[in-house]
Amino acid sequence: MIALVLIGFGMVALIQIPGLVRKQWWRELLCFAVLLFMGLILSVMISMGIEIPPVTTIINETITGMLGM
Amino acid sequence: MSLENGKISSFQLSVLIIGFIFGASVIIAPGQGAGHDAWMAIALGLTEGLLIAWIFTALARHFKGKTLVEINSLVYGKILGNFISVLFIWYLFHLGALVLNNYSRFLELELYPATPKTLTLILIMLVCASSVRRGIEVLARCSLILVTLTILMAIFDTLLVVPHMDLHNLLPILDIPIGKLLWTSHATAIFPFGDAVAFLMVLAFVNKPEKGRSAVFKGVLIAGLVLIGVAVRNAAVLGQMNPIYTYPTYITAQVIDVGDVLTRVEVLVAINLITMGFFKISVAYYGAVLGLAQVFNLRSYRPIILPIGILMVILALTNVSNTAEMFDFANNGYPIYTIPFQIAIPLITLLVAKLRKLPQIGGEQA
Repeated sequence: MIALVLIGFGMVALIQIPGLVRKQWWRELLCFAVLLFMGLILSVMISMGIEIPPVTTIINETITGMLGM
Repeated sequence: MSLENGKISSFQLSVLIIGFIFGASVIIAPGQGAGHDAWMAIALGLTEGLLIAWIFTALARHFKGKTLVEINSLVYGKILGNFISVLFIWYLFHLGALVLNNYSRFLELELYPATPKTLTLILIMLVCASSVRRGIEVLARCSLILVTLTILMAIFDTLLVVPHMDLHNLLPILDIPIGKLLWTSHATAIFPFGDAVAFLMVLAFVNKPEKGRSAVFKGVLIAGLVLIGVAVRNAAVLGQMNPIYTYPTYITAQVIDVGDVLTRVEVLVAINLITMGFFKISVAYYGAVLGLAQVFNLRSYRPIILPIGILMVILALTNVSNTAEMFDFANNGYPIYTIPFQIAIPLITLLVAKLRKLPQIGGEQA
């Protein structure tokens, strides 16, 4: 599973990075790399079975808890 | 340099808004909390939804040709403006992930129970990423074909269930406490009508900005009227069972049986969801990507399309634990959670802009 994730991310990087380097769009490259790295970390965590906190449930519980609904 | 060179007509904007509002609401019936009075909740919600549309279109009219991110920078300055923009971008990103989540849950429950959710999410996301890459013009042109087909299919479904309708199921009218009706109508105003605030990232690209508001109103109104019709149909066909079902529109279409030949028409409803959900996800996705590119002052929003799409899929996979939590959020948390994004940000920005007498002609922006 992790190998599949790495192949997928590698393909995305291969599609985007050469064009950005050729145009010397470093700011865009940095933005792309940071976002892709975040996605990679989270994807590897999911594929390793590490639970990511459910954001929507946390928001819902905070709001309903605050308002006593 | 503008990040988007495409232009859409006011008619295309109206149709795109209809598609956007149908989005998840084709399948998650709005106003369901009001039981057989759902149509009334939608009608009241539509009124509030038009008010929300009035607020955000007033802001767009005040700053013609500017997206919300650009408006925030002008009104609040770079730092505070970007902070507010990032909050709004989060809302769009989260909205896209929520619709993706609805989408994949529906497909998993009703159509593809053995297919991994991740696969359906990735496939949908690839289609949306492709449309976002091609820009708002392509999305608007797609909407003309797909929204027309959806409305035709809804009419077709409705005609075929006429023999199963019993209008007595709509009686007694106003059977629920007024407080519950008002809450449900507010929830309906927020989802699906208020979500149209995402168009603050799109209104800048209408070729005749002065027609933007009427186009938004037409879109919201037509979508609202169709949703009222669908709610009446569902209640008339399903009766007391209506509020029990997770996907009443889908169940209503299952009733169709014309001489044992024309059956299983409910797949048409699934097609409607897939096509209309595509618009809602794409517009939210487009807004988030374009907004982030503007915040970071990028030369093109295209490089960040795929990374944002991946993050959206991850959020869609992990944002709620189960379908019950999803509906609990839609009915209780969401109508409050979105008030800052749908009402407060546009309204306060408009008031601050008026107080600061922005935009200044011949000044920093015009």
